[in-house]
Amino acid sequence: MSSAPLPTLAEAGRRIAAGDLSPVALTEAALARAAALNPKLDAFIEITADRARAAAKRAEREIAGGRRLGPLHGIPYGLKDIYDAAGLRTTAHSRLLLDNVAAADAETTARLEAAGMILVGKLATHEFATGGPAFDLPFPPARNPWNTAHFTGGSSSGSGAAVAAGIVSLAMGSDTGGSIRLPAAYCGTVGLKPTYGRVSRRGVAPLCYSLDTTGPLTWTVEDAALALQALAGHDSLDPGSADVPVPDYRAALRDGIKGLRVGYASRFNQDGEVGPEQTAALDQTAQALAKLGAEVIEIALPSNTQFQACARAISHSESFAIHAQDLRTRPELYARVTRERLMLGGFLTATQYVQAQRLRRILTRKVDALFETVDVLLTAVIPGPAPVLEETDDGPWRRQQPLASVFNVTGHPAMAQPCGFAANGLPLSAQFVGRAFDEATVLRVGHAYEQTVVWVNKRPALARQSQ
Amino acid sequence: MPPMLDDPNGEFAAVVRRAGVTIPDDRWEAMREAYHSMQALLKVLDDPLAYEDEPAVLPRYDLGVK
Repeated sequence: MSSAPLPTLAEAGRRIAAGDLSPVALTEAALARAAALNPKLDAFIEITADRARAAAKRAEREIAGGRRLGPLHGIPYGLKDIYDAAGLRTTAHSRLLLDNVAAADAETTARLEAAGMILVGKLATHEFATGGPAFDLPFPPARNPWNTAHFTGGSSSGSGAAVAAGIVSLAMGSDTGGSIRLPAAYCGTVGLKPTYGRVSRRGVAPLCYSLDTTGPLTWTVEDAALALQALAGHDSLDPGSADVPVPDYRAALRDGIKGLRVGYASRFNQDGEVGPEQTAALDQTAQALAKLGAEVIEIALPSNTQFQACARAISHSESFAIHAQDLRTRPELYARVTRERLMLGGFLTATQYVQAQRLRRILTRKVDALFETVDVLLTAVIPGPAPVLEETDDGPWRRQQPLASVFNVTGHPAMAQPCGFAANGLPLSAQFVGRAFDEATVLRVGHAYEQTVVWVNKRPALARQSQ
Repeated sequence: MPPMLDDPNGEFAAVVRRAGVTIPDDRWEAMREAYHSMQALLKVLDDPLAYEDEPAVLPRYDLGVK
């Protein structure tokens, strides 16, 4: 293997199947890139080199013996450190869980392992998938590979950094208010939040039971489809899991988007305080989709304030319920920003929580109604490029509420993917949103758009200069 | 209205006590401001809803499925 970023999942799978690429060599390349880049990026909390090498040798033997498990067999991946992997620590980037060794795999981990993937390490996160980048924790915050002075987005911060830097081609994230899509957007990767209930959350540290979703960060949309194929499916032991058929996601990519109706929520850009560069990039994305044969229709989402009130009341209430005991008895173990943001949930009333859940149902119906006239939505997911890390809002109340949380409130599948670059060289991002459980159409639109742009081949300079 | 609720700081002290958490003196003002910012955003939840507007509890899986 060269010192180039790891190939995409699709390319690696093809080359392994053809006998042109060895899982052992691929894994060594991932470990070498992790060793070279992690001191600059702090993407990994733990690199599991011995485990990865053993798994790679096993995969190589199995494939050579004609027992290839599928397109992901022998390919490295990383886990946000809120996912359990048997025998490894799950710290959630927190002092509270430094000695927490998982007894069993999370269901998602088990599915990726059953597909023959090779775990190379546990990835940095905002503490307990909330809070923000913090410097008073046992592990430093991850850095953005496009410019290490800038924020990765979060909370799946290490996942975004590791994929953008080409250390792994798949990293798992979790998304309660945008935590897959925001690091994907700021780090210039694809990040797919599946429909609530599509992918199991069992064995993943919870933040908010009724908003939490798990999903992949990848370099391409095709890779997101490959990952979702392995991850999706009912888990009877996850109370939020849905028993809904899983289609062939990769097959859907071939259909193109001619005649598809795209609802562009451009007015939401103003509602969400989206900056001019990001707005222009979204306008160009809409134009590109029209050139591909889609019918682009202006649509209006309900007010962002209603979504944010729902998201905030629900997520703060549920996360406080999860953390109340520790916040009362050993608050000093949390980072300040985590502690303060979690504590806010204790100041809400039961009435506010119930009212938020009532409004949530109304908002979900309103978004569902939009899908009677369009097949997919195009919206902003970030207001602009990644801010400087040290200037990131670390107060107890976020001054700017995340746009991404709109579709955690409604549960619809939503995917962030690059749609250009700001003048300072940092990525911009578009969000495609589909009907409940229709990730296939989201992936189809994203893939068609991705074929028209050049930046899928553009990696951060740091990723090109490694080793 | 009880006198305590006339004083924004008194109201905040009450909700902190109810939550059972401790806030250091040097972070009290930041947390009080955060509490009031949150309450300002959540004001929209006071808008009247119809009796039949039940809570979502969890997203309904049948809604919006093609």
